[in-house]
Amino acid sequence: MTGVISGGGQWAYVAAAYGLTALLTGAVLWHSWRAMVKAERRSETLRGNRG
Amino acid sequence: MHAYANPTRFLNIARPLTPWLLGLGLLLLAGGAWAGLTLVPGDYKQGETARILYVHVPAAWLGMGGWTSLAVAGLAQLVWRHPLAGVAARAIAVPGMLFTALCLATGSIWGKPTWGTWWEWDGRMTSMLVLLFLYAGFIALTNGDDAQRQGGSLSRGAAVYALVGAINIPIINRSVVWWNSLHQGPSITLRGSSIDTTLLWPLGLTLLGFSMLFGAIVLMRMRRIIADNRVTARLRRLADEEGSE
Repeated sequence: MTGVISGGGQWAYVAAAYGLTALLTGAVLWHSWRAMVKAERRSETLRGNRG
Repeated sequence: MHAYANPTRFLNIARPLTPWLLGLGLLLLAGGAWAGLTLVPGDYKQGETARILYVHVPAAWLGMGGWTSLAVAGLAQLVWRHPLAGVAARAIAVPGMLFTALCLATGSIWGKPTWGTWWEWDGRMTSMLVLLFLYAGFIALTNGDDAQRQGGSLSRGAAVYALVGAINIPIINRSVVWWNSLHQGPSITLRGSSIDTTLLWPLGLTLLGFSMLFGAIVLMRMRRIIADNRVTARLRRLADEEGSE
């Protein structure tokens, strides 16, 4: 079992996995939310301008 | 199914549903992650690294589930020409690719302390990498075509690509059975789980939480595409009106 890491050193890997997941999921969530709000606002504004 | 073909009717459901999915998803995820990191004990063999299970497994299921939904949307587009099928397929692609990438990354992070290597060209990891490339190909195929990007529709080629790509899903699923490798065999099947319930229950929370977040992201992206379509249609109508005056 060469290279297998045990003990306290394992927590760094756990933190990296959770951190990366939170970061990437948060980024896609934020981008999707911002893009949706912007697009819907633009659509509403255009509809309002037309009366 | 065509009852929700009308974007306005779809939006009447999607608008209130989006914040609910988002809020509940985040709540379940926070609870599942907290339980997975603090409440449950480490695995007797793998130690603390087994806690990566609570993000790795939902990411794998959503990466595969995402492509399955994408293929169903492709079929709905090809067979029934459902107006929202193309919108849904385009909206699924990015979160599907995100979770596939997360599955590969968290699996690699799990592999290093457990197997002693970041990567192994075995059946499971290679077929999952193929899925990542399939998502990238689908996004390039749909974004590279102005008509598809502006109309939110799906070309015949993209729909067929989604269907053909679905062949990879059962390959991923059965890979650990067909080929012996470093990756463990299936631990959760229809017949039950080989993981003890003491360690298993937070997985239910994170799985449900990530699924709700996935749903919220898909709805947000569908709403954006529909809003963009409306803007394009209105601008075109305005240009036509001005041109005819």
